[in-house]
Amino acid sequence: MSVAVRLTGVGKTFTRPETGVSEIALRDISLSIEPGELVAFVGPSGSGKTTLLNLIARLQLPDTGAVELTRADGAVPRLAMVFQQPRLLEWRTVAENVRLAADAAGIPRERVAPALEAVGLAAYGGAFPLMLSGGQRQRVALARAFVVEPDIILFDEPFSALDELTARTLRSAMQTVRAIRPHTGILVTHNTLEAAFLADRILSFGAHPGRIVGEERVAIPRPRDPDDERLFRIHQRVLRELGV
Amino acid sequence: MTAVIDARAFRSAVVPPLACIVLVAVAWQTMASLLHSPLLPGLTEIGGAFAHIAASGMLVPQIAATLGRVALGFALAFALAVAIGLPMGRSPRARRFLEPAMLIGLTVPGLVWALLCVIWFGVSLANPIVAVALSAAPAIAITIAQGVRNVDPDLLEMAHVFHFGPLARARDLWLPALAPYLLSGARFGLSLAWKVIVLVEIFGMSSGVGYQLNAAFSSQNVALVLAWTLAFGVVMAVLEYGVMQALERRATRWRRSARV
Repeated sequence: MSVAVRLTGVGKTFTRPETGVSEIALRDISLSIEPGELVAFVGPSGSGKTTLLNLIARLQLPDTGAVELTRADGAVPRLAMVFQQPRLLEWRTVAENVRLAADAAGIPRERVAPALEAVGLAAYGGAFPLMLSGGQRQRVALARAFVVEPDIILFDEPFSALDELTARTLRSAMQTVRAIRPHTGILVTHNTLEAAFLADRILSFGAHPGRIVGEERVAIPRPRDPDDERLFRIHQRVLRELGV
Repeated sequence: MTAVIDARAFRSAVVPPLACIVLVAVAWQTMASLLHSPLLPGLTEIGGAFAHIAASGMLVPQIAATLGRVALGFALAFALAVAIGLPMGRSPRARRFLEPAMLIGLTVPGLVWALLCVIWFGVSLANPIVAVALSAAPAIAITIAQGVRNVDPDLLEMAHVFHFGPLARARDLWLPALAPYLLSGARFGLSLAWKVIVLVEIFGMSSGVGYQLNAAFSSQNVALVLAWTLAFGVVMAVLEYGVMQALERRATRWRRSARV
């Protein structure tokens, strides 16, 4: 079986500079993610989910263990990330924000317009981000991630700053784009229902130290209905794993 | 509709500063009329002196000499400030190393730099350039350092994740993020440069607005002093409204577009 992401015995400890006290953020995390699979990390604050995402994005380095990102053809996999806040360059237009990511990845500029169209922003290419609503800004962030044609997309609580109605629309948009262009995904979220709706597999994290305490497979075919009863049952099982 | 908005915007932009100038002129003329003193010439006398320097053909070359020195000194100041401000903003160690020098530079009066440069460089062009650069660079560097510290680390992280190249980082992230600080530093630096260039020209040059001010002062011609000051003021107003504010509008158009 091929693997897109493999973590072996990953650990990370932070030391607070003001007190000198060390805290284990993650201890001995081992997991494998298949190509095209979307895995959700759920758990309470302080369980190291975002730290683990940052280690996979190489924004930080692990103290122990190894993080491997692989591609079937042996090339270096291309990575994209959708953050909790859109992190757009407010002085550049919507199209320019997406185009900059495309340029950096060597993707032709002609792909920018289809990427904006895929997230429902075809008419907003010339707008500056401050002219958009929170949901539209996050759509731009999704378009920026999709346009680079990534092998792996890391989603760091991408919908948590939005109202539920907007978040629901964006989750559907994400599901549609994933169907058009499949990619491996890792989703960090506090929302277990969101995890059940989007993911193929849900890993539950416990805190202090951050570690995996449970795993749940979501064997519901796509496209999924956010009001599907089976999602609620999975959501309840995950909550039990988390001790709620 | 657009024409109406444009006319209204123009009025709101032009009328207040014009009103201020008219008010100052009226107050000055009233004072001059009441005091009847040669030390406080009226607007007609100042206008006459201004017309005299304009007609004598001195106005443009003298102002051009001063402007040229300020431009060269300011360019050196800005280059130094960028070279100092960027590391100061990026690295706490560099900040701790450079901050005392910048604070000392800020507290040294322009007069001291002017005197020192006259002693060091005599009447050469290096004199005004170095004096302007030493006076203006610390203030600009500190402003740039503050701007660098305020660049959103989340954006830097985003640029890292999406593998932005050095050119894209500089052109699309750093420069626009720093633009307000560069502009406010430039504005402050220019105001310091004007002050020090006049001093340098008074003490150590044989041309320029400062030299002419000194000559007018020596002959106790207050109207001429004011006429040169006025000419200087007009140049600064052109720079402020014609260059600095145009740059500012361009750098912040994305912010204004959100209010439309």
